[in-house]
Amino acid sequence: MNAAGTLWRVRAGLPRLLVPIALAAGLATLVIVAVGGHPPASQAQQVQQIAAGLHCPICKDLSVADSPAPLAQQMRQEIAAKLGAGESADQIRAGFVAAYGPSVLMSPPRQGVAGVAYYLPLLVLAAGVVAAFTALRRWLRTPQPDPPGSASPRLSASQRRALAKAVARLREEEPG
Amino acid sequence: MRRRLTRLTRRRTRLLAGVGAAVAVIVALLATGLGRDPSVIASPLVGHMAPNFTLAQLDGPPVTLFKLRGQIVVVNFWASWCTECQVEQAALDQMWQQFRDSGVVVIGVNFQDTAGAARSYVSTADVTYPVVEDTDSSTALAYGLRGVPETFVVNQSGRIVDHVIGPIDEATLVSEINAMLLASAR
Amino acid sequence: MSQLGTYLLLFALVVSCYGLLAAAVGAKTGRPALVESARRCAFGVLATVAAANATMLAALLSNEFAIRYVADNSARETPVFFKALSLWAADSGSLLLWNLILGGYIAAVAVRFRRDRPPTFPYALSVLFAVQVFYLILINGPAQPFASLANPPADGRGPAPLLQNHPLMAVHPPFLYLGFIGFTVPFAFGIAALLAGQGLDQWVSLIRRWTLVVWCFLTVGLLLGALWSYSVLGWGGYWAWDPVENVALLPWLLSTAFLHSVMLQERRGMARLWNIALVIGAFSLMTFGTFLTRANVLSSVHAFAQTSVGPAYLAFLALVLLAGFGLVAWRLPTLRTPASLTSAISREGAFVANNMLLLAAAAIILLGTTFPLVVEAVSGQQVTVGGPYFRSSVTPVFLLILLLAGTAPLLPWRATNRSRALRRLRVPATAAALVMIATAWAGVRQITVVAGFGLAALVFVTSGQEILGGLAIGRRGLRAGTVRALVRGRRRHAGLVVHLGLALVAAGITASYSLGQQAQVTLKTGQSTVFGGQVLRYQGLHTDQQPQRIVLTTTVSVTNSSGGTAGTLDPRMNLYPAATEPIGSPSIRRGIVWDLYASLISLQDDGGSATFRFYRNPGVNWLWFGGLVMALGGIAAAWPSRRPNSGGDQGAKAVRKRAAVEAGAP
Repeated sequence: MNAAGTLWRVRAGLPRLLVPIALAAGLATLVIVAVGGHPPASQAQQVQQIAAGLHCPICKDLSVADSPAPLAQQMRQEIAAKLGAGESADQIRAGFVAAYGPSVLMSPPRQGVAGVAYYLPLLVLAAGVVAAFTALRRWLRTPQPDPPGSASPRLSASQRRALAKAVARLREEEPG
Repeated sequence: MRRRLTRLTRRRTRLLAGVGAAVAVIVALLATGLGRDPSVIASPLVGHMAPNFTLAQLDGPPVTLFKLRGQIVVVNFWASWCTECQVEQAALDQMWQQFRDSGVVVIGVNFQDTAGAARSYVSTADVTYPVVEDTDSSTALAYGLRGVPETFVVNQSGRIVDHVIGPIDEATLVSEINAMLLASAR
Repeated sequence: MSQLGTYLLLFALVVSCYGLLAAAVGAKTGRPALVESARRCAFGVLATVAAANATMLAALLSNEFAIRYVADNSARETPVFFKALSLWAADSGSLLLWNLILGGYIAAVAVRFRRDRPPTFPYALSVLFAVQVFYLILINGPAQPFASLANPPADGRGPAPLLQNHPLMAVHPPFLYLGFIGFTVPFAFGIAALLAGQGLDQWVSLIRRWTLVVWCFLTVGLLLGALWSYSVLGWGGYWAWDPVENVALLPWLLSTAFLHSVMLQERRGMARLWNIALVIGAFSLMTFGTFLTRANVLSSVHAFAQTSVGPAYLAFLALVLLAGFGLVAWRLPTLRTPASLTSAISREGAFVANNMLLLAAAAIILLGTTFPLVVEAVSGQQVTVGGPYFRSSVTPVFLLILLLAGTAPLLPWRATNRSRALRRLRVPATAAALVMIATAWAGVRQITVVAGFGLAALVFVTSGQEILGGLAIGRRGLRAGTVRALVRGRRRHAGLVVHLGLALVAAGITASYSLGQQAQVTLKTGQSTVFGGQVLRYQGLHTDQQPQRIVLTTTVSVTNSSGGTAGTLDPRMNLYPAATEPIGSPSIRRGIVWDLYASLISLQDDGGSATFRFYRNPGVNWLWFGGLVMALGGIAAAWPSRRPNSGGDQGAKAVRKRAAVEAGAP
């Protein structure tokens, strides 16, 4: 039995309510996961989180968490020691910035000129939405030109054949 | 018709001017990046107080930076596996001999090395200035070290006045130290 | 040999200049003889540049250290395989390869259009020669690979250790170059259409297949780069958001948008402006990427050593941007098409949204990559823009693109039969919802991961459903069998196969980014640790002295929790005389879902104790497999059909037939 026929039977056999229920459940899952909290991080996880936000100074692109370099390892030990001593994540990061400069953070600082980086993605998306809407609006406004006498076109036999061939080809490209 | 044509040409010229302006801005921005080396990052510590450290010497009592207040301290980070450090080692030793009685201290901080390798290097190269070990790199991290050799010059009040990445230039450093000694003598 | 190479390159430059002038003059004055001579020049240039490449190869293999490039990038003890690959190990040598591939593409264009030529052909040829002239000027001027040394050393420095460590060096740069340089052809034909002021509809059908093949090359090239990062660099990941990686992705995004937007122009005569802008944008971004990589403007793993070519690339980039977008501004009235749309919720609307999202992703990545440069120019502050920024800003856009890929194939053209589209969405949407519920049930708490798996499932089921549906219609509607149906609807089916690959890639990326585990342990010989449900024991160190390096191999045995041996891992450390630090080579046990990955960090006590990093990465192999499926789907879409009146131009022919029928109606 071909797969398409099975698919058709599955599709037809789905109880009418199953699909909306499944969709609703899926959306609900998304919402639950989005608002649901994360369990409090252990110290090792906290070290990992802070290290992931710091740029390994001797590597090219890796974070302190990802880098296998010995200096990165010692940085992780230092982070663990400072956490144990009671420093907060912000204080630890500030300590590294004081020694290495703001480039030791994996992301630009939120204050000052560099903070503009966090607005850029939203601006880009907004610009994109505006551009898309402008294009769509222009194309939606242009009326479809009616060919003269299109109310009841009379086709010759060859024209009918050409039309049939074109339609058949279109159908092949867009089955169903 | 002519009005419509001139409107078209005016719009076209405006668009072309816009394109030209945008390209000029982009090129100017990218050109600023051409002059400099992206791997050289300025140290934020210059002008700030030097972070304190208490590190054990290879053979001797521990050295604390704060206790050296009142003297000029040249803190040099090095390692036995670092080929560029060998280039500057003779210059550092010469500076130590020249200034040790004038209130200047040269300290070599061993970075990510083993005690054995450090000791053999010290004896082979005949290093006379004090050499300390930074086993957990906490001092290197406090000084924002990105590699070796790096040298920090700390003035008499404990403030970092210079940071050299790579082997030192002896003449520049000697003149700096002389200037500081002269200023403090007055 | 140095002189032979230099003269060959100079000759190539002269011939290209002639080709450029002949094609340009022939285009302007309409003299076919000049154009024909310019077309023949393409073969001359290719032959000369190929000979120059062969000369450099011979110099490398025969240890001719009088040539500076050979002395800097090869050594006597380098294995023959890597000696040959040193051809593209550094800037000037890789420019030789660049010119060769560019010459190859121009020769291919010359062969393809040896008979029936579109009227824009002379202009396109002159643009192609102009680009070739630039790269030949570079190789004759600032970046001379055949420069000789007054006192040749006895032995060379050898290639950079990282570039002689793995055979992937043989394929990653060539495929990437084939992808990048290939964009010159669509760009040339687009500019030609703008210059000539005509053929603004035909140029798209002309180069659609070219762009598709180039897209396939670039997809494979990027995948090989990710594979390199994963299998060679040893940090357990495959994409580090390095500036050079980012700018390599940008032309891929724009060309993907173009390949979709082309259908708008072929079928509905819309989006002319978008298409020409996308092609010019793709080529400009490729040139910008070359500038960024070679001008040492940003710190990167890929940065070539400091060279003096930066200003030349910047000047070329300025020229490309001015010429390209200036011409677009010039011809803007003819580019604005009077197309019409009945509704935004249609295939056309989906393509517009697709364009917008891909461009937005490209813009975000471009701005983020150049942001440190801008901030330093404006305020002098040095900042880093790394992985976390890109991941958080680009992930929502990519998720929306997945949503589009999963729903748009169901949308009809002209919004004719939307209820049918909604019916066809039921099975994929249900599948996506079930996958999301299952993922959340399994304990995943990150919304991007849940959404990522769900949307990947959506794309997978939609594409699969449409392919199967197409086969069924084929079987019912025609006398022929499944294969014929596959071939008839080839373009659509191939596109759906690419989407299948995309779903696999998306699932792989989602899984590997969030569900991996890692651990760093120091083990003494004989000591074992438990990781990921398996027992890993360090068995010992083995030293291998090779002519060009010392290889330290550690063996780690892997035992299942049930007691059965699952194999061994042997992460290595390679000590090269030129490198201050050892180059690690990770060891990977690949599985269908999980990869067990081991990296050797350091050794103590002459191998008595070793520090390892172990990773358990899920889904990475889905990434490679899915990427391969994407590339194969692209090849299938580009494959020329045997029937003379069908194949890639089906869309265009349908447009023309419809127009003819409409015009023919009384």
